[in-house]
Amino acid sequence: MQVPLPTLLTLTAVALLLSTFGVVVRRGFAGWLSAYRYQSVILAGSAAVIAYETGFWEIYVAAVLTLVVKAVIIPRLLVRVTESVRDEFKIEANPFVSIRLSLLISALLVALSYGLIRETLSSASLGVFAVAYLPVSLSLFFIGLFVMVSRRMALNQVVGLLVIENGLFLFTTALTQGVSLIIEVGILADILVGVMISALLLLRMSQTFDSFDIASLENLKDD
Amino acid sequence: MRSNLLALLTSGGVPPDWSTLLLTILLTPAVAVGLVTLTRTRRYAEAVTVASVLLVVVQTLALVAGVILDGQFSALGGFLYLDAFGALILIPIAAVGFVAALYSVSYMGLQFERGVVDDKHIARYYQGFNSFVLTMLLVPLANNMGLMWVAIEATTLVSVFLIMLYTNQGAIEAAWKYLMVATVGLSLALFGIVLFSYSNTSISPAVASSGSGLDWTSMAADARLLDPGIVKIAFVFVLVGLGTKAGLAPMHTWLPDAHGEAPTPVSALLSGVLLNCAIYGVLRFYIIAQGALGVALPSELMVILGLLSMGVAAASIYFQKDMKRMLAFSSVEHMGIVSLAVGFGGFVGLFAGLLHIINHAVAKPLMFFASGTVSQRYETKVMKEIKGVIKTMPITGAFMLVGGLAVAGMPPFNIFLSEFLVTTSGFGGGQFFAASLMILLLVVVFAGFLRHLVPMIFGSAKGPGISVAADVRSGGHEELLAVLPMAVLVTLVVLLGFYLPQPLQTLIRDAVQVFGQGAPAR
Repeated sequence: MQVPLPTLLTLTAVALLLSTFGVVVRRGFAGWLSAYRYQSVILAGSAAVIAYETGFWEIYVAAVLTLVVKAVIIPRLLVRVTESVRDEFKIEANPFVSIRLSLLISALLVALSYGLIRETLSSASLGVFAVAYLPVSLSLFFIGLFVMVSRRMALNQVVGLLVIENGLFLFTTALTQGVSLIIEVGILADILVGVMISALLLLRMSQTFDSFDIASLENLKDD
Repeated sequence: MRSNLLALLTSGGVPPDWSTLLLTILLTPAVAVGLVTLTRTRRYAEAVTVASVLLVVVQTLALVAGVILDGQFSALGGFLYLDAFGALILIPIAAVGFVAALYSVSYMGLQFERGVVDDKHIARYYQGFNSFVLTMLLVPLANNMGLMWVAIEATTLVSVFLIMLYTNQGAIEAAWKYLMVATVGLSLALFGIVLFSYSNTSISPAVASSGSGLDWTSMAADARLLDPGIVKIAFVFVLVGLGTKAGLAPMHTWLPDAHGEAPTPVSALLSGVLLNCAIYGVLRFYIIAQGALGVALPSELMVILGLLSMGVAAASIYFQKDMKRMLAFSSVEHMGIVSLAVGFGGFVGLFAGLLHIINHAVAKPLMFFASGTVSQRYETKVMKEIKGVIKTMPITGAFMLVGGLAVAGMPPFNIFLSEFLVTTSGFGGGQFFAASLMILLLVVVFAGFLRHLVPMIFGSAKGPGISVAADVRSGGHEELLAVLPMAVLVTLVVLLGFYLPQPLQTLIRDAVQVFGQGAPAR
């Protein structure tokens, strides 16, 4: 069965947004990670669609790399590192903003993204991928940022950062059909090393502070 | 590598192949990382690091000579590129890298003997140090702006790694905040960079098909043709994103923590070198933006951020208690001055801004080294508990006095010269309000610095609550490897105050020309 391109683009865009909402509504670390994993798989799929339509083989490679690094390696790494950490540190029991309100704000952020893209880039003649994916990529950025600032658990900040990076990848691929492959690999390597370093820091944090609550990270200030 | 250099020096009449140097200068620290990893003994790691950075210094001098003689050159099919502006940023990386490597031997050696760090930490420290130098060198050498982004993000990761070498609570907190804030900032910058690339590829199919849409040279050549609507958003993204990394207020919040908690030689590199790399990235896009938008809007943004940074820093310096945090806020102030200078613009403004980058890169590491040595002796960073440095350690005390007065902007030292030029360009360009406000803030900073510095240096060391640690190794006398790097920097601080060597002058002049490339006729 042949699915027409606009339908396919809309479907993947919706799926990406849904997986992002998954990160917002879940309370536990395992939940965020599985939502992030779904998101990465769909992201790789979207990149593959763009690759198929434009015929650039580099985008296929980038899609495969995304799948391997973001859907397999990073989630496994984070699970491995946090194995020794007590379960109560992995649950967002008392976020700064309640889950219900977070969902509402996220929906508003999605609306804001669509509005912003329409306002700012209407003058340019955007391609079909850009029209479908740019608002979504901006939504991922905003919601990722929102997750980072509205939660207590340091693990959440890592997940928020990863969602932002996914938005960035979508933005790049949809707007310019991908920056060159070397740069793409460089960016992925940066993300991977970044996750490793934050995992190391999380371990140190659990040993030194006996908590992942970022409220314990407020000793350095000027008074 | 060495034979290459010799060939260069002995090539005589044959035009030397500068572009090979672009590769070898990157290879040098990479090899050093490998060597340190292989052996893992302290003495060896120190020797390898000092030798590697020394080689980087030699190659930098050759590259600077090449830029002055031949203008610009590229390697790897335009992937790497060096012009006068890039070469100017290269100088502090090499120079401060070298003195910081020397200082590391003394500082980390003492930490080792006091049992703060062990063999494993030392090996990790030197791996990190060399990787840090490598990633910073890549920033001014990258022509592909995507590559530059990857390099800047890599500097964040490596420096976070260096900060978390100490496992105390402060270091972990600082490292975490730095990693999170800088990475979010850089994500924003990448959005902007991709938008720049998009506006570049969309105007010419040739650029799109050759894949050079992200090359700075290609963007600068097309600057006037770029879609102003897109460039406006893109520049704001880049300014906020890379401005975060450059410590411009109000995105500076991570900076005092990270610079304050890092091992002192790393603080010197973070303040004296890494901030330059970030502001260099901002300015590369500033050049393109002023070509596409005209100079008015971008320069106004730079003036606003510059004044805001100076204001925030001035207040924080005046009421500061921690020595290293005071120095960190002073870096926010000086990056603000650079931003302000570029915003004032004109030949004098740009010249002063670029000169200020060099001057700050000389004076701030000096202060960090002095403060590191002092805080090792007094075993505290709280300024109230440090008194009479001039009596307990005369040489370091004298250096600290000179460095402090220089950083605060006292004549006849180097920073005064560039600050004076910046205000001149401000009044000359008709920006009376901004230039007057700048002078006012400079006075506040000056007062703040003296308020803290005078008791620390001249106060009585015998007061209550002052404890001078018995120096474990040298029994009171100051160690040569701690003093030597400071002596080099003090010489430069004094010398650059009244004498600009001809090659440096030419280089800065050429770098200012780079800014003219994309600029409309004034």
